[in-house]
Amino acid sequence: MATLEEEHQALLQFLYLAPVGLAQLKMDGEIVMINPLSAQLLMPLSRDGNLNNLFTALETIAPELRHLCASFKEPYGMICDAARLQVNAGIPGKSDPQILSLTLLKLDAARLMAVISDVSLQVKRERQLQQHEAWLNAILQGMTDYALVPLNSDGGIEQWNESMERVTGLDEAAVVGRSYSIFFPEGAATKEGLADRLHEADQNGWSLQEGYCRRAGGTRFWASTLITPLRIRGGDAAFAGALHVDLPEDHSYCLVIRDIDEKREASESRRKALLCDHLTGVANRRAFFDAAELELSRMKRSPRPLSLVLFDADSFKSINDRYGHPVGDAVLRHFALMLQETFRQVDIVARIGGEEFAVLLPSTSMPEAFAAAERLRAAVEASWVDIDGVRIAYTVSGGIVSADANVSGLDELIKRADAALYEAKEAGRNRIRTWHPGQSRRLKMVTP
Amino acid sequence: MTIADATLEKAGAGTVPPTEGGTRFSQENIVPLLNAFGRQELDALDFGVIGFDQETVVRQYNRFESECAGLAPEHVVGQRMFTSVAPCMNNFMVAQRFEDALVNGTELDAVIDYVLTLRMRPVKVRLRLLARPDSELRYVLVDRSG
Repeated sequence: MATLEEEHQALLQFLYLAPVGLAQLKMDGEIVMINPLSAQLLMPLSRDGNLNNLFTALETIAPELRHLCASFKEPYGMICDAARLQVNAGIPGKSDPQILSLTLLKLDAARLMAVISDVSLQVKRERQLQQHEAWLNAILQGMTDYALVPLNSDGGIEQWNESMERVTGLDEAAVVGRSYSIFFPEGAATKEGLADRLHEADQNGWSLQEGYCRRAGGTRFWASTLITPLRIRGGDAAFAGALHVDLPEDHSYCLVIRDIDEKREASESRRKALLCDHLTGVANRRAFFDAAELELSRMKRSPRPLSLVLFDADSFKSINDRYGHPVGDAVLRHFALMLQETFRQVDIVARIGGEEFAVLLPSTSMPEAFAAAERLRAAVEASWVDIDGVRIAYTVSGGIVSADANVSGLDELIKRADAALYEAKEAGRNRIRTWHPGQSRRLKMVTP
Repeated sequence: MTIADATLEKAGAGTVPPTEGGTRFSQENIVPLLNAFGRQELDALDFGVIGFDQETVVRQYNRFESECAGLAPEHVVGQRMFTSVAPCMNNFMVAQRFEDALVNGTELDAVIDYVLTLRMRPVKVRLRLLARPDSELRYVLVDRSG
């Protein structure tokens, strides 16, 4: 057990080494007790080389202290709390201004406690931060065709700024705390799809897409949206120091929305040439397989429903034979238009064969996919193609599959949908069938 | 008291009465003497001696200083001078001068008025700051008699 003498020494050393200045004063500022850090900070300020009185020692940088304490009438309490005293202005480029922080606590009618610390570094950082903020504000004020949106790890919008209102018309109340899905038209983004983009931004350093965004009134505009992860710099060891490594990594993002409505046609025609079927305007095989592979990989990373519908125009060969190929083409264009009108923007509609279309429905379960496919089938049945006054009616059949953990890949998914489609055809056409185990395959193979 | 001592006393800052051994706070060319002293001789001095090496680790801490500060030498020797032993001197008035002398390879022998916070009380002292390029140890001498 430690002796009283040893404990006394330990206590002394504790006070000697405290990394903050501590002093006990009489009411007139006379120093009764003081620790070394106080002396380190105060001695360079003391004009007479003494440390008998704190008010005298601080006379040059805080002449009001004596008066402040004398006029404090409460029997006890905080006289000043972390008041900042500027020691010098620093030399620009050479040394930073030195700032002391002073707290004065009145204990009773006879005693004051003072806490003194050097906060120069902290003040410097605060100023830097203010400067950065001012810079950012200046940039945000001056931007006209960009909206800058800070997002948290879940894609929630953390702050509002004027650039958002300028580009989207959405005001602060409409934005803060909401998911960044509010910038997209309904049906253009799923919850999982939004999370995917954040994940892909983490993986690749960015996520860039072109597509429709939504304005406050509900109108759409063509925009490019760029998401970049923001990483808190780990280099500030002196400040954050060892604390930083223990903190969970703070994922946040910056979303930049750029209105490129006037460039839509150019960019769309470029995109179409590459990725669209020239006859119908929907996605071509290549675009479909790319998109489907991406969706499957997303699903494997974070499981969510994914459905695929294969549609086939019934008895299409006889339409061609009877009316000729131009009419057949018109029917296919009509079919494609019906598909685009029925399904969401986020769904991928593609022509993958002569009269065969595929629709990939992200984040969609089998019953939901079935309902949508059935809506399409009924809409086609109820409509017709008008060619030179001749009404041509046709029907379609569909086969649906939902991806599950047992699906090895895109090939198998398509085979299953194809088997369901075959069953729909066998059962008399103009109907939708869902895949179930035991369904037999028909002959045609669909592979990229 | 030797004649040399008396002369020195008049020439020097003067308030330290010579002790038996004759080594005084303001004695000229004191660094070789301090370097040569053993523990006993350092403890016999009537002023404080803190000797620290090139890495600022304290190697000498005599009885006078130990009693003033209220710390036993074993709690001090081996510690860092300006962060763990005398943080009150960690400013441009003291620490910076040692740092400059070391970097520039120059000799430092200066007496300054200072306030130490011995046992949490402000105590006016004179410090003698000593550093020589040819000496492994550097010294702060503390005179309380003023």
